Amino acid sequence: MKLEIRELSKRYGSTQALDSLSLEIAAARVLVLIGPSGGGKSTFLRVLGGLETADSGRVSINSRPLAADPAGLQAFRRRNGFLFQQFNLFPHLNALRNIALPLEKVHGHTPEEARGLAEHSLARFGLLEHAHKLPAQLSGGQQQRVGIARAVARKPEILFLDEPTSALDPEMTAEVLELIQELAEAGQDIILSTHEMGFAKAVADQVAFVAAGKIEEHAPPADLFGNATSPVCRRFLSKVMRY
Amino acid sequence: MSRKLWTANLAAAVLVVAGLAWLFTSVFSMLENQTDWSKAWEYRETLWQGWKVTLGISFAALAGSIVFGLLFMLGQRSHLVVVRWVCRAFLEFVRDTPLLVHLLFGYFVIFAPFVSRPLSDLGMNDKLVIGILLLSLFEGAYLGEILRGGVESIPKTQWESARAVGFSPFQVYRYVIFPQALRRVLPAMAGLFVSLIKDSSLLNVIGVTEYFYNTRNFISRSYAGLEGYIPLALGYLVLTLPVAWLAHWLEQRFRHET
Repeated sequence: MKLEIRELSKRYGSTQALDSLSLEIAAARVLVLIGPSGGGKSTFLRVLGGLETADSGRVSINSRPLAADPAGLQAFRRRNGFLFQQFNLFPHLNALRNIALPLEKVHGHTPEEARGLAEHSLARFGLLEHAHKLPAQLSGGQQQRVGIARAVARKPEILFLDEPTSALDPEMTAEVLELIQELAEAGQDIILSTHEMGFAKAVADQVAFVAAGKIEEHAPPADLFGNATSPVCRRFLSKVMRY
Repeated sequence: MSRKLWTANLAAAVLVVAGLAWLFTSVFSMLENQTDWSKAWEYRETLWQGWKVTLGISFAALAGSIVFGLLFMLGQRSHLVVVRWVCRAFLEFVRDTPLLVHLLFGYFVIFAPFVSRPLSDLGMNDKLVIGILLLSLFEGAYLGEILRGGVESIPKTQWESARAVGFSPFQVYRYVIFPQALRRVLPAMAGLFVSLIKDSSLLNVIGVTEYFYNTRNFISRSYAGLEGYIPLALGYLVLTLPVAWLAHWLEQRFRHET
């Protein structure tokens, strides 16, 4: 995917979440956003994912400008997938219905087709045995994997993941990260924010360091983790890599 | 159950039964010579007609209050600040003044002068139609608040997830928010619907010939007492208990699902 972001700004009340953020990436399969909490990673991701509109600035993804009107954004969200930290699934529907319902109501599949696609998607990630369980009956890791299965069931152009493992314990984190890596290796375009530096290093083509509403620095992982140029980024990395 | 608890329960039961037995015997022995159930039997046709009207009012106002409740809920969540304020003010007014006042004022001052004639020309009972409308508005105001509470109790992440999978605003409500919100407000809604059935008796003040109105007529014409009040109470119980049971059953059914 190709990204061109110019002077993106967004305020929430008195907080400047994005402060004329610019980023240009000519080609990347997996872009990972790292940085301190409250630095703007989530807001940036939500604007890119079409869940939020910026106050000013321009975004173009794969040479297409991002829509600003509600209808255009809805169409954009339908082409892509988005996963949050937690509580992605609808608690009143079982795993299968969670995936099948949007296929049916949003993408116009017949109920049988939707069911088939949903089963296929669950089977792909080894979740078929949980198809008829409600989210509350699944572990946090399984819930996130069903969430991802839902997001990729319609082959999204880009998959947006906002700290997908932050609410999980280390074992569940591993199972979710493995799945994301699998998707990346299968050629899925992904933009994700994470605090898992080892994972970022392993899976990213490009890593962007976001702090105080700006991109401080972006580079391939080997360069950024080995030899960061901005002092803020170096300080952050030295802190998080210490233990 | 331990032996001690068992004895305590038994003692409590005996006390309650004895107390009720004493109350009933003293009441009935006082009225012994005055109760005459043949009077009620004579008026059975009128009472039955009244009960059917109450049933009709209840169903119609139930449907009406759902429509108004949804409108008030959506109005309070509108993007337009004027709409929000108007809804808020109206709900506050309706909830803080008695239904009796709405019925008298709404019927005699607002609606009757304008729509009584046209409704009668259409062959409709204007009192009944206006009464149902006013009752629907009143209960709808409460329902609007109940629904708003339910909808706003759904976590923000659910709204976002629903938008993220591409649902339209209508679909977000239809498939994600309402099914979850309704479950949470079911007990409150059931209580409201039971109140609605009982509140329908107030329609007698504008002359709707419903169950209470007909019973009161029967009592004043025949000097009846308990023969009127007992069927009255039973008649309302027959309507309200199924609602309460249904709500309880639905609540049990959905309990494990969250």
